[in-house]
Amino acid sequence: MVRRFTRRDFLNFAAMAAAAPLFEVKPLRGIDFILQNSPTARKFLIETMPGGIALFDYNNDGLLDIFLVNGGRITESLHVPENFDRSDPRYWNRLYRQNRDGSFADVTQAAGLANAGNSNYGMGVAAGDYDNDGFPDLYVTSYGKNILYHNNGDGTFTDVTSKAGVAAGGWSVSAGFFDYDNDGHLDLFVARYMDWDADHNKICGGDWHTYCPPGVFPATACQLFHNHGDGTFEDVTERSGLTAKKGKALGVAFADYDGDGFTDIFVSNDGMQQYLFHNNGDGTFTECALESGVALTSDGKGLSGMGTVFQDYDNDGRPDVFVTVLPREIYSLYHNEGGGAFNYVSLEAGLGALTSGSSGWGAGLEDFDNDGWKDLFVAQSHVLDNVQQIDASLRYKELPLLAMNHNGHFERADSGVTTPLAARGAAFGDINNDGKIDVVISILGGPPVLLLNRYDGGNHWLSISLRGTRSNRDGYGARVSVNGQTRFATTAGGYVCANDKRLHFGLGSAEKATVEIHWPSGVKQVLNDVRSDQFLEVREPQR
Amino acid sequence: MIQLFLFAWLAGQAATSDAMRHVQAGLMARQQHNVEVEIAEFRQATEIDPSLPDAFVNLGAAYMEKRDYGVAIAPLKRALELSPDLAVAHQFLGYALLAQGYVAEAIPHLDRVGAQEALGIAQIETGQLTEAVANFTAALAKRPADPDLLYYLGHASGLLSKTAIDNLIANYPDSARAHQTLAENYYALRQMPQAEKEYLEALRLRPDLPDLHLELGQVYANSAQWPKAEAEFRAETKLQPGKAEAAYRLGAALLQQGKASDALPELKRANQLKPEMPETLYSLGKAASLAGDSATAEKAWLKVIELEKNTSLAAQAHFGLVGLYRKQGKAEQARREMQEFQKLQSTIGPPRSE
Repeated sequence: MVRRFTRRDFLNFAAMAAAAPLFEVKPLRGIDFILQNSPTARKFLIETMPGGIALFDYNNDGLLDIFLVNGGRITESLHVPENFDRSDPRYWNRLYRQNRDGSFADVTQAAGLANAGNSNYGMGVAAGDYDNDGFPDLYVTSYGKNILYHNNGDGTFTDVTSKAGVAAGGWSVSAGFFDYDNDGHLDLFVARYMDWDADHNKICGGDWHTYCPPGVFPATACQLFHNHGDGTFEDVTERSGLTAKKGKALGVAFADYDGDGFTDIFVSNDGMQQYLFHNNGDGTFTECALESGVALTSDGKGLSGMGTVFQDYDNDGRPDVFVTVLPREIYSLYHNEGGGAFNYVSLEAGLGALTSGSSGWGAGLEDFDNDGWKDLFVAQSHVLDNVQQIDASLRYKELPLLAMNHNGHFERADSGVTTPLAARGAAFGDINNDGKIDVVISILGGPPVLLLNRYDGGNHWLSISLRGTRSNRDGYGARVSVNGQTRFATTAGGYVCANDKRLHFGLGSAEKATVEIHWPSGVKQVLNDVRSDQFLEVREPQR
Repeated sequence: MIQLFLFAWLAGQAATSDAMRHVQAGLMARQQHNVEVEIAEFRQATEIDPSLPDAFVNLGAAYMEKRDYGVAIAPLKRALELSPDLAVAHQFLGYALLAQGYVAEAIPHLDRVGAQEALGIAQIETGQLTEAVANFTAALAKRPADPDLLYYLGHASGLLSKTAIDNLIANYPDSARAHQTLAENYYALRQMPQAEKEYLEALRLRPDLPDLHLELGQVYANSAQWPKAEAEFRAETKLQPGKAEAAYRLGAALLQQGKASDALPELKRANQLKPEMPETLYSLGKAASLAGDSATAEKAWLKVIELEKNTSLAAQAHFGLVGLYRKQGKAEQARREMQEFQKLQSTIGPPRSE
């Protein structure tokens, strides 16, 4: 559904066009983290991939904290069994607690999150309260063993991977918590890239000597873990039907695309067709991307699928699919037509002109100017660090893409970033609780970058925290509509990152909102005359 | 071939002397592939009768047979001293001299007998590239499937082209054509900023030169600068309204920017100017589909399938029809096109990214 372009839209657009950059690029005070991807002459493909970020409030003080996933040390002599020297503090993942003054304090060691294991090269992170104790837990993906950290609620975490049975193994990239069977306990999906190890690494490009494309390595299956609700999970990959579909997964996002009350899974695969796993509601999934129209481009070609977002960009109430890709392709946008069908609309939405020369990773559809339309942000950089030598028209480091959404059509805007970056992850959330969505980007070989939203157009907003009672505690999987806009409650999506769990809505000039929540339990809740410009916690009624 | 030719030529000669008997013995040895006896017999013939051109030309031919081209030259030259019009001697001598690198000396002999391929090879060496291209072209008309001839024609044409370009760059460096040439080289090397600079300079010098806007547009298209690409393609269509490629490129640039309704007439025009081009038809189908002109889209994609049959473009057209029929609620037709798409994918490979 595309609504009429109103005078207010025009004024907003005009204001944006004439305005200063949307974001202020800020150093994260107190954060001294460097993402150690350790590039080598042997061009191990894992070097190009890390950069997970979680924006979450681990101590429930109302301020977003930041967890950063590190890669590890790689040497030219790397062989199986690989040792990434993660016991060295330079290669630790890091947790930074936000202080009241907006600075951050490194609490990694005190929180028990130091040293993720020498055999693990870090990739991404998922955040979710898997035991419904009110404190968000972390699941860290790696090449190697993944780790589930239980948040003890006292500022510390405990590695409960073995007990929970979610180590996975292989090469995991993105992951996400969601409740696929609506039993009130968050389950876990792990996107795995390919069957690879250091002894089977290859170098491509002839004299150019560069990283190999995914087609050179065998595909692998993603993994699904069912949460028993007692602190343990069961690997249900086989039983759920996921094993049958091997792919090269980098991103994962969740939403109930067909409105049947069960959360579905979209997986972005690199160099092939994409996967849409329809939740059959009986613990099994059916891969139906081709039939649904989200597998390929409109030309019938596969995608270099990197990150993905599964949210409603055109305010018709149905979640759409967005996928970032590599140059010579166009970032793919699939409009949800209803009835389980999608239509490829990248060109109509303006993405052909905006994205055909860029490489996208982390992405988000967020309403940065609170005008009621979700805008697009993409962390960009090519995979190959020497791509410019191979093709002078391409660049390794790129500026991020910020594109404002005008009635479903995207127009480039000034993000405020002036230096090209080797960006990977992008996490979205209201860092300073000012009612505007900020962005944190991870940079290979560098410190994370904070993009603090400085939009001052005066639009109103509403930020909703869900408090599930019958549903999972944070209401993941809920469909929340506010004044005609819809968000699907999730922290997953994009690439290797976990976003602020609060659901942010721009309200434009509206000072009041009507909030409609479809909880995963099936409960429907409506709140009328909700005041704008507030952080609202909504508790799920007991029915 | 050489043997048969010589045998036929000599069959018509009188064999009355001792010398001729040795010549005949030499020819017998040739039939038995005994080159050493052949040489001995022909040599004896030349010693017995030093004025017998048959003996010298056959001795030379025997050395040629043995690939001893240097030694072949003297008896062949002697044969021509004795009989200046002896065509076969000119031919062998031309080959022998060419093989030994005496290219300039070989040319008149090869020219005299019309040995076009060898003459062309010699002319490449002496820099007579225009003549070489003409000779290879003439030879190819007689033997169109000869890979050696195709190679040499390509080689000579390339050198001719390079010579002309070197001349252009060296002597007219500030001309629009010199800048265009440099731009084309940069484009081939994918050095787009340099290519852009040279094209802009060429356009500054001669704004009405055909194809400059088209080529500059492709530079922009390759750098994903679509509005600029559109402007250049549009300028080219004004300069050359009858050029199908300009209309096609403009349509494709508009399509890339989501301007399907604007793209559609350009692609239709491209299709009228040069009908049955599969790429144009595919893009036409795409633009028509996006612009809501289902009938045109269907017709264009069906034509692509008819023209292409089992290629990846045909697969794309089937996939386009899947979407089109789905939108129209024609489930059965969509299913059938999907089957065709998948069938083609299984033969030409699974769908990959660009």
